[in-house]
Amino acid sequence: MKTAVVMSVGLLALSGCASQMVSIRTVPAQTPAADTAAALANAAAFAEAVATESAAESAAAESASGSPTAVHGGPEAAPLLTPEDAPPMYTYDPWERFNRFAYRFNARFDEAIFLPVANTYRRMPSPVRAGVHNFFGNIAEIDSVINYTLQWRLKYGLRSLERLLINSTIGIGGLIDAATKLKLPGTPTGFATTLAKWGMHPGPYLVIPLLGPSTLRDGVGFLADYGAEYGINVVGLYRGNVSWALGPVNAIDQRANIDFRYYSGGSPFEYETIRFLYVRRRLIEDVGLHAKDRPKKPAIDAPAGK
Amino acid sequence: MAPLPAKVPLYEINMTLPWRLPVPEILWFDGKLRVWLSAQDKPAPLAIVISGTGSDGNNKTISVLRAALYGAGYHVLTMPSPTFSGFIVSASSTGVAGDLMQDGHDLYAAMQEIIAHLPRKVRITDIDLLGFSLGGANAAIVKSIDASEGKLKLHRVVMINPPVSLFSSVGRLDRLFSATIGPGEMGVDLLYRRLYAQLANLYRASDRLELDENFILTAAAVTLKTDAEFSQAIALAYRLQLVDMFFIGDLYAKTGVVIDPEHRPKVGDSLEDIQRDLRAKPFADYFTRVFAPYYLKRRPEATSASLIAANRLDIIADALRSDGDYYAQTNSNDLILNRRELDWLQDTLGSRIVVYDHGGHLGEIGDRQQVADMLDMLAGRWPRSAP
Repeated sequence: MKTAVVMSVGLLALSGCASQMVSIRTVPAQTPAADTAAALANAAAFAEAVATESAAESAAAESASGSPTAVHGGPEAAPLLTPEDAPPMYTYDPWERFNRFAYRFNARFDEAIFLPVANTYRRMPSPVRAGVHNFFGNIAEIDSVINYTLQWRLKYGLRSLERLLINSTIGIGGLIDAATKLKLPGTPTGFATTLAKWGMHPGPYLVIPLLGPSTLRDGVGFLADYGAEYGINVVGLYRGNVSWALGPVNAIDQRANIDFRYYSGGSPFEYETIRFLYVRRRLIEDVGLHAKDRPKKPAIDAPAGK
Repeated sequence: MAPLPAKVPLYEINMTLPWRLPVPEILWFDGKLRVWLSAQDKPAPLAIVISGTGSDGNNKTISVLRAALYGAGYHVLTMPSPTFSGFIVSASSTGVAGDLMQDGHDLYAAMQEIIAHLPRKVRITDIDLLGFSLGGANAAIVKSIDASEGKLKLHRVVMINPPVSLFSSVGRLDRLFSATIGPGEMGVDLLYRRLYAQLANLYRASDRLELDENFILTAAAVTLKTDAEFSQAIALAYRLQLVDMFFIGDLYAKTGVVIDPEHRPKVGDSLEDIQRDLRAKPFADYFTRVFAPYYLKRRPEATSASLIAANRLDIIADALRSDGDYYAQTNSNDLILNRRELDWLQDTLGSRIVVYDHGGHLGEIGDRQQVADMLDMLAGRWPRSAP
């Protein structure tokens, strides 16, 4: 079994690398009718969210204009960020040379092996894929409970715990996400967020081979999450007879759920763009985590993330 | 919205073209031309769609057209713009994009290669061509080339929101950039800081845990409240595409604007400062420092003025006027056309153009009326007799 899987992955890899003039391959079909229906449903939900958020924003703006130290959303909230609070457009990337080679390696690996395998996997019936996705999501819930506790966000920790209990029982060992249907949506967290909550900066940008864009903090967080799951070793999964297949199946499930293609935009500056977006997203999430603190003024000229 | 099919099958085709120039090390990922095919399982006409300025062959706009055309019974082949990085590297015979005739010849050659290599089971009865924005002008030029070479026997062409004068259209976008964002990197920096602060404030107020795509879309709807902000978004998107084309042109033509031809950047080298430099440069700089030097060297009889004149749709005015197989759809408030250019299109195409009175550049694509008109034009049912 193990040999067969390794061999078929190898064959797929070879077929991707072959230097023929033309390659024609089937990719997942588009579903315009369903997509449009979903987009319309989303738009309605957005309209509602936008209405409430812009009301909140304008209320905040009014109170902010009243006095420079006015606060947003209650006496304990911090003042709104101003454009001067934004980090510079440069990003802290002292390991750029390594990162760029790792980025190219990842792009090639993804194109030759990872994405073709994920696309093949996407041809399996969707209930099967949903089951696999929910199963891994349920295992990760344990880590979320631990980390929400470490972050002292007990409300969310409790919700993760409820989800874990419901999905492991009613959800038949995690195959069905029953909790979401009971209005307990999943919001996974990990050790990287815990470190952020404890006040650690993202640190240098880091492209991890096989995993992709990250920062030093997120990389450490990933290792800790894996370590925790390995240590707890739920139902013997991480140290049993099938553990060798666990990582790859988890990875393929995750890849199949990410709509990203390396260099689909063809741009020579994709490395810069992804780095910029990744680190800004992390920094904004940090702002959200420290919503009750006054934003720190970034040091002038210090690149973002330092 | 026009009715859409439930499922559109998709092939991805990657091709190495025989005339490709050596691929520079830092553009290793762009060596193959990538196009997409949705095939019917019975004999059918083929509709080839050419993307707009700087875009690839599988974006949102193209997906809308693909769904409409596939639903109407066409095989659909979607291609990148000849100004798209991946096209310039894999299929351009010059590396310097933006010349209407040269790009047309490269596109035409690429189409022949692709069609020759399609799976046997794809049975094609006729070939029509569509393009939006710059792709509309490309499509018309390709048909005019085919009219003299006859290798593909292209039938009808529908141009959707085409430019008339390439350089005055991009000039308008450059002016939009300096008017709404600012002339250089300073303006981009200010825009970024404002967006960052707005997004962070919204995120903090939202009580959400993850900054995901849905949240960003919601935030964009809140942030892009005014026309001025939409204009900024359009101008920035256009400038970012110009940056890629400028970079690749400078690399191939060895014009040394931002890349020292003796010391070309390698895979491990940072390109951020080059990107910042280029973001501050308008199309006029590309024209005077890369495009004109390159083409003037190869066309001894040409002048700057003649290069500009050659990049107007009126180089094929006779064909547009007399050949009944050219059609167009545009909008009276399309920002890439001025009044005179719109009048010229209407005068030249006569009843074969439809002008919508709202929507702006590409704003009507996917609308029920636009799709119905486009399909009627492609099928030769246009102009419709009065109901």
